[in-house]
Amino acid sequence: MHNIIETEKLAKCFGQVTAVDSVNLSIQKGEIYGFLGLNGAGKTTTIRILTGMIRPTSGSASLFGERVRANRCDLWNRVGHLVEIPYSYPDLTVRENLEITRRLRLISDPSAVDTIIEKLQLGAYRDRLVKNLSQGNVQRLGLAKALIHNPEILILDEPANGLDPAGIVEIRELLRDLALNHGVTIFLSSHILGEIARFATRIGIIHEGKLIREAQIHELDRERRRCLQIKVAEPEKAQTFLSEKGYQTAMLTDQTLAITGRDVIDNPAALNALLVSAGFIASMLKIEEEDLESFFFRVIGRNGGEA
Amino acid sequence: MRGFTAALWSEYLKARRSIILWITIVIFAFISLMMGLFIYLAQHPELISNSAILNAKTSMLGQTDWPGYFILLHQMGAILGMIGFGFVFSWIFGREYSDRTLKDLLALPVSRVVIINAKLIIATIWSLILAIILLTGGIISGRLVGIDGWSAELCRQAACTFAGTILLTIFLCPPVAFFASYGRGFLVPIGYLILIMMITQFAVTAVPGIAPYFPWAIPALYSGAAGPESSQLGLVSYLILAFTGFLGIAGTIAWWRYADQK
Repeated sequence: MHNIIETEKLAKCFGQVTAVDSVNLSIQKGEIYGFLGLNGAGKTTTIRILTGMIRPTSGSASLFGERVRANRCDLWNRVGHLVEIPYSYPDLTVRENLEITRRLRLISDPSAVDTIIEKLQLGAYRDRLVKNLSQGNVQRLGLAKALIHNPEILILDEPANGLDPAGIVEIRELLRDLALNHGVTIFLSSHILGEIARFATRIGIIHEGKLIREAQIHELDRERRRCLQIKVAEPEKAQTFLSEKGYQTAMLTDQTLAITGRDVIDNPAALNALLVSAGFIASMLKIEEEDLESFFFRVIGRNGGEA
Repeated sequence: MRGFTAALWSEYLKARRSIILWITIVIFAFISLMMGLFIYLAQHPELISNSAILNAKTSMLGQTDWPGYFILLHQMGAILGMIGFGFVFSWIFGREYSDRTLKDLLALPVSRVVIINAKLIIATIWSLILAIILLTGGIISGRLVGIDGWSAELCRQAACTFAGTILLTIFLCPPVAFFASYGRGFLVPIGYLILIMMITQFAVTAVPGIAPYFPWAIPALYSGAAGPESSQLGLVSYLILAFTGFLGIAGTIAWWRYADQK
């Protein structure tokens, strides 16, 4: 399979600031690629390069095997994009804004506007001025503009911004359907791993301009830390005992013992039996899995990543 | 061609639905009516004998007949045109930055050059509408206050001169589009307009003979409002003016095409 989206040693500097530093991406048809990073990590800069809005300082970006350039108009009808917060003309209605997009996308079928209005559930607002829309509906309108021409690639920057929980689920299902059933390749950025992990097939984590980690979504489960947490009457003594037995232990703030190690996770009953034999009775025993947020912080080396 | 038609339609819709279109129309209509009133007051100084400011202003008019009135109209066409049309150009380009909609115009099957051309055409049409309002409003208000010396032939000649002045003024506006793009909004182009007005005043008075070669002074010279200097306008003057306009268009295209659109 050849790559639909590809960057090679992509870099962008703004003066002395390196916003994107030698990023290599290879995304195949039908993938949903979650591009994760904190604010200022380089997500939007990468997206702007992919959509031809800014030029890389070095390296290259390609879509469908064609190098991205501002004047490659033939590429852009195969690409839908939503960059940062979507804005539309405030003095025009939802329908008029979409009509402008339809015409500029050279879509000859006028019903494309109504179709996308229905798909994004904007029917009740079609004749409302954009300046009177809620933030969630402005976001929907931005997505409608990105989707109106049935693109083969969708490049979306924080698409869930401003949407309520029901809207987030709805958009997630819509994007999943486009990828799974229509072969649309989706590249979307976010700073929330938990949200992206729900439907991305692969993630890339960018931090301070560098792509520091890529993983298939199912690999995340393997890589997230797990520990066995136990509560006993005398936790300090129990910790000493377990350390002497060669277990890796840590005392959590609520006097709970956390024990790591594959064999403990796979067979907690054995450890419990060992404790009982030494006179320690566990009142609580559970396997705790590192949450996605902690995993993300651990990967980028920030506080909050402790297991 | 389909892309151009689409871009033109889009710009037309945006302009038509903009409150700024109606505000500029009202301002130009109001000024044209005020010109007639101004002449009327100049003809009847007894009505403003209590106001030293108005007396001073009306006394600057000189002739209060139709030939004098048309000179005033031409002056307004050149000066108000530069400010008003410049504002129109800055609005049409600058709004994409202030409304943050520019990014929707960059990655399209319609090229950026086509979109710039459509914007320039709509800005030109908008400016022409304002000029027509200024001219017709001025003539109507002049007729209403009964200025002496009217003739259809004089009106025809004045309209031709006015049209030439307006076209020359519009040709000086593309640099405003560049500054709106460069400055990502309205402040820089408005600042540019103010600066140009000041420099023009300074240069024309400080350097004798420079006016025919100073692009922003050329429309006023053409209009005859500056007196006999208008006869100094030659091919070089028009080439300088055309070069300024094309430089603005080329600069705008280059900016949209090559600059990072952050």
